[in-house]
Amino acid sequence: MTKAIFFFISCLLLLLPLVFNAGEISMSSQLLFTTPFLLLFGIPHGAIDNVLYLRNNKIKNTHFIAIYLVFVASNIAIWIFSPTIAYVLFLFLSAYHFGQSQFTHYFDKQPSSHKALYLFWGISILSGLLYFNIAETHSIMVQHEEFAVFSPLHQEVDMLYLFLASTLLTVSFIIYLTAKKFLTIENMFMELLVISLVLICFYLLPFLIGFTLYFIVLHSFKVLKEEYHFLDSKKEISSFKGFIQLIAPFTLLSVFGILFLFGLIYLDVLTFSYGYCLLIVISSITLPHVFVMNKFYGILFSSKRSPELV
Amino acid sequence: MDLLNVLVIPKDDPIAFTFFTGYMAMLAASIFFFFERGRVDDKWKLSLLVSALITFIAAVHYYYMRDYYLATGENPTALRYIDWTLTVPLMCVEFYLLTKAAGAKIALLWKLIAASVLMLVAGYIGEAFNPEGGDTAHSVLWGVISTIGYIYILYTAWFGEVAKLAAASNNEIVKKGVRTLAWFVLAGWAIYPIGYMCMPGGWLNTAFGWGSENVDLFYNIADAINKIGFGLVVYGIAITATEQNKAKAKTA
Repeated sequence: MTKAIFFFISCLLLLLPLVFNAGEISMSSQLLFTTPFLLLFGIPHGAIDNVLYLRNNKIKNTHFIAIYLVFVASNIAIWIFSPTIAYVLFLFLSAYHFGQSQFTHYFDKQPSSHKALYLFWGISILSGLLYFNIAETHSIMVQHEEFAVFSPLHQEVDMLYLFLASTLLTVSFIIYLTAKKFLTIENMFMELLVISLVLICFYLLPFLIGFTLYFIVLHSFKVLKEEYHFLDSKKEISSFKGFIQLIAPFTLLSVFGILFLFGLIYLDVLTFSYGYCLLIVISSITLPHVFVMNKFYGILFSSKRSPELV
Repeated sequence: MDLLNVLVIPKDDPIAFTFFTGYMAMLAASIFFFFERGRVDDKWKLSLLVSALITFIAAVHYYYMRDYYLATGENPTALRYIDWTLTVPLMCVEFYLLTKAAGAKIALLWKLIAASVLMLVAGYIGEAFNPEGGDTAHSVLWGVISTIGYIYILYTAWFGEVAKLAAASNNEIVKKGVRTLAWFVLAGWAIYPIGYMCMPGGWLNTAFGWGSENVDLFYNIADAINKIGFGLVVYGIAITATEQNKAKAKTA
């Protein structure tokens, strides 16, 4: 068990009764409660993509940022012309990225079977999140017309089949990789426990609180820790303070950027909801982040595995 | 004449069934651990005695709980917690004994016992003093306090002193054994909160309608897995280490 898993279990056990005792929690209250965590711990894990990429590629920082912005702009363009494609692309890339960050430290190489596991694991938890909270997602679609276009993608039966199929495939791949000695028996039990706990968390906790707990504790903290150890080993940083200084600029830029967009919505300059705006922003920064992290993980775990990263 | 008072176990009552099998399994495990004590090296004898005591104390309580349940059809909450108050600290003693050779101090034992007592006393107040009909706030408050004790033991077993001492022991059998016991704490002990939350006012009771009739079933299954399983892991460590020692002595 990693400390992140321990922390996740502890938070889940303590949060469950408290959230239950609090009764019905509206979506806006959930947003209010989770946004500080997402901004403080979620955004920073993707705030040093430039540092990670430049560390292993001969490209100037300005060029990297330019390419990054082209990715962002392309994604926004997809959102404008085909929100459904943009939404599906966002979910698939997120699914792969979540799965990759969950398993990649076990493997030295990343053949197709491993990549398939990443994708199915991510699809399993995301489809689980949407299926278990189908009433909440439908109410969002009813309340905000921009989301109505995604309604056909959220049919209860389809979501259930997707969830069952992806979960079955995930469990099969975990067992297969254990049989092939890529995972130990203990790793297998731990990963089966983790996916069960994540799904229980999504089932029992309200939509945003459940997702935030997973995203911050099991995903962002893990990635931040890997980034910290990598940069520390490469003498890029000498202390935790140095790491904070490194992630601060783009974190602040992102946070103020989001606040700026929210301001424009407030002033009716932009005419869509806060939630839709946040979805576009998150998907736009996710797109290049997934590619950078894919490259980063390839380098990080291709050589001798570092036990402190596990 | 008392022998003629035959207890009738209803065929459709899995709780009564598990009370009886739990009692027999615990008793059988106790006898097994007592007798097997003679086959292991001296340094493991105390660990096996503690394993035998855990299952024996549980067996005696199960004997009474079985009767209580058949006579009243109610949860034997007080008996259950008396049993746990004795056996769970003894499980913590097992962690101490296993890591003693690697330098575990008596303070570790007291910290584990304190955490287990906090976990159990808070759980008992949460269950036994829950107002008639169930009070969610009461159940949640004491459930959270109890969980803090559990989280401390979980941390100690996986990352804290116990884990560090096991790693420092340079004994693969002890390392593996402590890790297996840590798994018991993680997965096996996690069944107890499910039972707790089935109580009136408990979270599973209110949300899903799982009633107190489910409580004993969960607790009986958990007890059988954890107490006998815990003892078997300790037995496994003791017997493997003893055989290794014998093999070494032969080759020397």
